[in-house]
Amino acid sequence: MSEWLENAISRGQKIDDWLNPKRSRALELLSTTKWPTRKTEAWRYTPLRAIQSTKATQLEVVSELTPLAIADLSAIELVFKNGKLDKSALSDTLPTGLTVSLGSELAAQQQLQAIADFSEVKPDRHLFGLVNDALAQDVVIVNVEAGVKVEQPLRISSLLSQGAESHTRVQVSLGEGAELAVIEDVQAEGETLNTAFVEYFVSPKAHLEHYRFALQTGTNVSVGGCHFNMLDHSTMHSTIVAFGSDLSRLDTDIIHSGEFVDAKLNAIYLLDNNELFDLHATVEHAMPNGTTEENVRCIVGGRAKAVFNGRIHIHRDAQKTLAELNNRNLLVSKTAEINTKPELEIYADDVRCAHGATSAEVDKQALYYLQTRGINRAQANVILNFGFINELIDLMPNKVLAEWIRPIIRARFSAMKVN
Amino acid sequence: MSDNKSLLTIKDVYASIEEKQIIKGFNLDIKPGEVHAIMGPNGAGKSTMGYVLSGREGYEVNSGTITFNGKDLLEMEIEERAAAGLFLAFQYPVEIPGVSNLEFLKASVDAIREANGEEPITSSELLKQAKEACKQVDLPLAFLKRGVNEGFSGGEKKRNELMQMLLLKPKLCILDETDSGLDIDALQMVAAGVNSQRSPERSFIVVTHYQRLLDYIKPDFVHVLADGKIVKSGDASLALELESQGYAWLETHKDEDNIEG
Repeated sequence: MSEWLENAISRGQKIDDWLNPKRSRALELLSTTKWPTRKTEAWRYTPLRAIQSTKATQLEVVSELTPLAIADLSAIELVFKNGKLDKSALSDTLPTGLTVSLGSELAAQQQLQAIADFSEVKPDRHLFGLVNDALAQDVVIVNVEAGVKVEQPLRISSLLSQGAESHTRVQVSLGEGAELAVIEDVQAEGETLNTAFVEYFVSPKAHLEHYRFALQTGTNVSVGGCHFNMLDHSTMHSTIVAFGSDLSRLDTDIIHSGEFVDAKLNAIYLLDNNELFDLHATVEHAMPNGTTEENVRCIVGGRAKAVFNGRIHIHRDAQKTLAELNNRNLLVSKTAEINTKPELEIYADDVRCAHGATSAEVDKQALYYLQTRGINRAQANVILNFGFINELIDLMPNKVLAEWIRPIIRARFSAMKVN
Repeated sequence: MSDNKSLLTIKDVYASIEEKQIIKGFNLDIKPGEVHAIMGPNGAGKSTMGYVLSGREGYEVNSGTITFNGKDLLEMEIEERAAAGLFLAFQYPVEIPGVSNLEFLKASVDAIREANGEEPITSSELLKQAKEACKQVDLPLAFLKRGVNEGFSGGEKKRNELMQMLLLKPKLCILDETDSGLDIDALQMVAAGVNSQRSPERSFIVVTHYQRLLDYIKPDFVHVLADGKIVKSGDASLALELESQGYAWLETHKDEDNIEG
């Protein structure tokens, strides 16, 4: 076991609060977990050196941290500062039908429910998910009542100051037919470490629109997850936009626990310098008639490294499943690296399932076409590469967010050296 | 054959693709304002000539010279040829998802302006011009926001090519089978677009398999291309003659060549 994990476990053992039953369970699992090495399949291309060497530690709240402004976005703000919920940032008047509470402050009955739900969606195989179970500082419970359509998106920001370590946890439940959009983002300055996990319980006919922006770069270390439990006729549309850092890893699990679930997951990542970003996306089709459409596109430059593992598991009873996984990768420098692995595991016989992974250079015909219109090769390359991810930005349901992120991505891309 | 007033002079050009000889001694001289039609059977090298002129990778000129506006065209990069005023309207324009038509037009217009020492066009001016051009070729304005040619029908792609031509105002337009796959209404619209651009400063090469486009775009000269070279040239009446007789005699001619070779 690593020193870092031993230290995390011993810190976890000192915590004594409402969540004890789940924390001790996580600690027990952690005590028997082997620290991943190069031979551990889930971490094969993502070395954990950066975690072992980070000097980040849990700090007191730094109040001058403020979430990055998103122009024209009117959101309900849920702000964590170095892992602690900033209650003052939360509006006093939330829309009817939406409640946001600290797990520690819930009434007894609700708290029992929160304990029961905790870590029920997130699979135990995620090592840092267990760390988060044990160390999460403030656990926030978000609930949308049945039939309520929340107009404003809920933005969950995790802010870290130089040297900070944070473990944030949010549990989001959508009642039957409810609708909610959630934006998750992380801002980390300098050497920082964070685990940010969110579990989603999506009731029948509910709709979740989801975004996760992992734009932290540099010496930050981030390991997090988004885990979705989908019931009958529920739908979700998720967009992940990531840059890379010393270590940035995201695990997503979409679990079709009901029939006729429709899930869409689009991920964009743009890596430069020595950055690393690793997305492990798992879809469990446990029930029939589900649909999954997954598009993952990445552009990797510099000496950066991208990892994508896309697993779609279609269980024996999940007949009539339609699942599609498409992964397009583009290397813009000779020293960049992409490791991609689509995994389809199909046990039902009446399904339609397709996957494709390509590590492509730009299309020569398109390049020629642009050149015949006067655009030089270098610029044509930029245009084409950008178009490649722009397609997924166009699919973002929230146009304010799309127009906010587009220039950010463009600027990052323009700064990347194409060679 | 050529003089200093020529816009384009192609002299005895041989060109190949992957070592396969396609163009075998091509000669053509075009003066400003002229419209030349190049007709010929499939496989004669009609599209190849357009690619050679545009500078497409893999289309190798083995011998001969091409002078465009007084300069050696073969020494120029693809984009330099565009900046110098050469425009190729593709038979099968490529789809570029994720790059909006308008973004593409702006990049293109700006690149050509920059190469000619002009300031970039303002977004509002470009939008105004693009809207006018769309109207002229009957392309819905919504197409400006869509990905370049993405999901466009064959006819819409051709209109989009023409729309670009209207914005870029080239000196020489090569229309590569712009009539293929168009119904008669679309054909007339394309022809009207081309005719509106005819001017003493602008020349056209209209590459087509069929005569019908030439009912609407009246050429000054018609050339028949067979087996990589022009085998017959004449005025507009040659197209009609060819229409009545068909390419059959050319096909026979080519066969004889092959037997000899």
